[in-house]
Amino acid sequence: MAKHTHEIRDPIHVFICLSSAEREVLGSRPFQRLRHIHQLALTYLVYPGATHRRFEHSLGVMGLATRVFDVVTLEDNLTGRLRSELSELHENRDYWRKVLRMAALCHDIGHLPFSHAAEKELLPDGWTHERLSAELIRSEEMATAWKHLKIDPEDVVKLALGPKEALKLDLGLEFSPWETILAEIIVGDALGADRMDYLLRDSHHAGVAYGRFDHYRLIDTMRILPGPPSEENDQGGEGLALGVEEGGLQSAEALLLARYFMFSQLYCHPIRRIYDIHLKDFLKGWLPGGMFSTEIEDHLQMTDTEVTVGMRKADRDGGHPAHHHARRIQRREHFKVLYQRNPEDFAVNPEAGQKVYDALSEEFGGEHFRHDRYPQGSGRPDFPVQLANGQIASSQALSQVLDRVPSVSIDYVFADRSTMKSATQWLQEHHDEVIQPQSEEEGDG
Amino acid sequence: MDRLRKAAVITRLAQSLRERGSWCGETHIQKTTYFLQELLGVPLEFQFILYKHGPFSFDLRDELSALQADELLRPEPHPPYGPKIVTTERAEYIQGLYPKTLAKYQEKIDLVTDRLGPADVATLERLATGLYVTRTAEGVEDAATMEARADELHRLKPHISVEEAGEAIREVDELIEQAQAVAC
Repeated sequence: MAKHTHEIRDPIHVFICLSSAEREVLGSRPFQRLRHIHQLALTYLVYPGATHRRFEHSLGVMGLATRVFDVVTLEDNLTGRLRSELSELHENRDYWRKVLRMAALCHDIGHLPFSHAAEKELLPDGWTHERLSAELIRSEEMATAWKHLKIDPEDVVKLALGPKEALKLDLGLEFSPWETILAEIIVGDALGADRMDYLLRDSHHAGVAYGRFDHYRLIDTMRILPGPPSEENDQGGEGLALGVEEGGLQSAEALLLARYFMFSQLYCHPIRRIYDIHLKDFLKGWLPGGMFSTEIEDHLQMTDTEVTVGMRKADRDGGHPAHHHARRIQRREHFKVLYQRNPEDFAVNPEAGQKVYDALSEEFGGEHFRHDRYPQGSGRPDFPVQLANGQIASSQALSQVLDRVPSVSIDYVFADRSTMKSATQWLQEHHDEVIQPQSEEEGDG
Repeated sequence: MDRLRKAAVITRLAQSLRERGSWCGETHIQKTTYFLQELLGVPLEFQFILYKHGPFSFDLRDELSALQADELLRPEPHPPYGPKIVTTERAEYIQGLYPKTLAKYQEKIDLVTDRLGPADVATLERLATGLYVTRTAEGVEDAATMEARADELHRLKPHISVEEAGEAIREVDELIEQAQAVAC
């Protein structure tokens, strides 16, 4: 007898199941390409186990998003008011469950080689990996699969991007409250399945325990709730949001703490960061015109494999314009940390790193240094919590932990090894004057 | 405007809101920054889009997080509601570095916070969306009338009645007149 459900083993979620029609999406060229896109770029040069790919992460997001959907749409878990507001759920639950699963599966298919590391400066204006994802979902490559699944690709695009990215990209998409909630299940800032999976998976593969949290408990307590009240005379209830029952608050705290630790210990590790910068420098010198193509066929052809082969060739070719950048990665001759944010300098100037970088570049030449400033955004997202008496409260108001989760903010200046000693010595001599912020009293106003 | 100057302006705006009795949560800073930038032309360079509760900037949300990481702003809990945002001593130190920038924009900050400081989040949503609708309708003859803008505001935010929308558009027009006086 023909098999209609297929199981895929997964180190995080044990089994992930798909139907035969869903497996067509899995087998498409845009999705299979993700087998060759590292989830964490060149992080494996620092944490050797971190060689996992977007392919398995995307499967994991689909698995988790489905579990969240099944919990939050249970009749017993919907309050009376929400039952009447979410007409799409009652009219077409199976359709939207399928769309949600496919949007979760495809939410990353537009990623460039080596994921985030290469994106910002390597695409034309107005392009991001989210826009490429939308183009791929709408493309002929996937049209047959959508037809067999009987779903509208525009619905998949909406849920895969969410209102935040769709609005930023000005794609002209409008979201109903129901579609907004479904997108939040996948890409939500607070409790999205994307975030849950990458923390668990990156933590597992990198071999660091920081990213773990009790996602079973968290998912069981998730609910669709009215938005949290923001001030005394606000009753809340404007719009809907994904939140938790009071009993799930500790699991949600653990998720946001995991995120803090993973950013501070793994994602913002200085050597990982400088490899990202060297990779960007290499790609600018290696790609035609210094940018990735946004043509669908070119995108499908370009993976980490092509970039790695190009990098190895450029390393061997002393005349290649990107030779030095390739060599830094291939031979582990990366720049080293010369300066990093510290409390004393920070008290004088929160942008001390930029000052140090500018001064060193002027003294020794900009090619010897790189500056990396990253303030983590959306560090403390608010979400509604349903109290035992049915009242809705703000998570930030209820939780003393969430209120205190720090934001990660890094400020590194890196130097090449040949300049490190003289630059360090020069900075020691000029440190105090270099980091001073330029006051308008000095005449630059 | 560079980041520290921008930080000086945003933290001064937050201080000014609190001095006028505002709850001063993220929504209050979002909407008043929208007025400061889009109505009064203070070049803060945030990208605003029409989101769940009116004009909203994800860049500004990230910057508010970054200002907290830089210890220039601090959330003050008020259970069971969302936190108020307060400025720190370090914010005053940063403001002290940019007296000319702040002097240049103080009158504009005062106008926005005098008018919007006492407003609750629902009022801020109505007014900010009213300004958004007005700006979108600029130069489009049929869409620029008061009635047409009120209808559009009601269409975008159905929970705002046509009467409330009309009142919001009238208030926005008053603010535009006042803003033109400050700009002169």
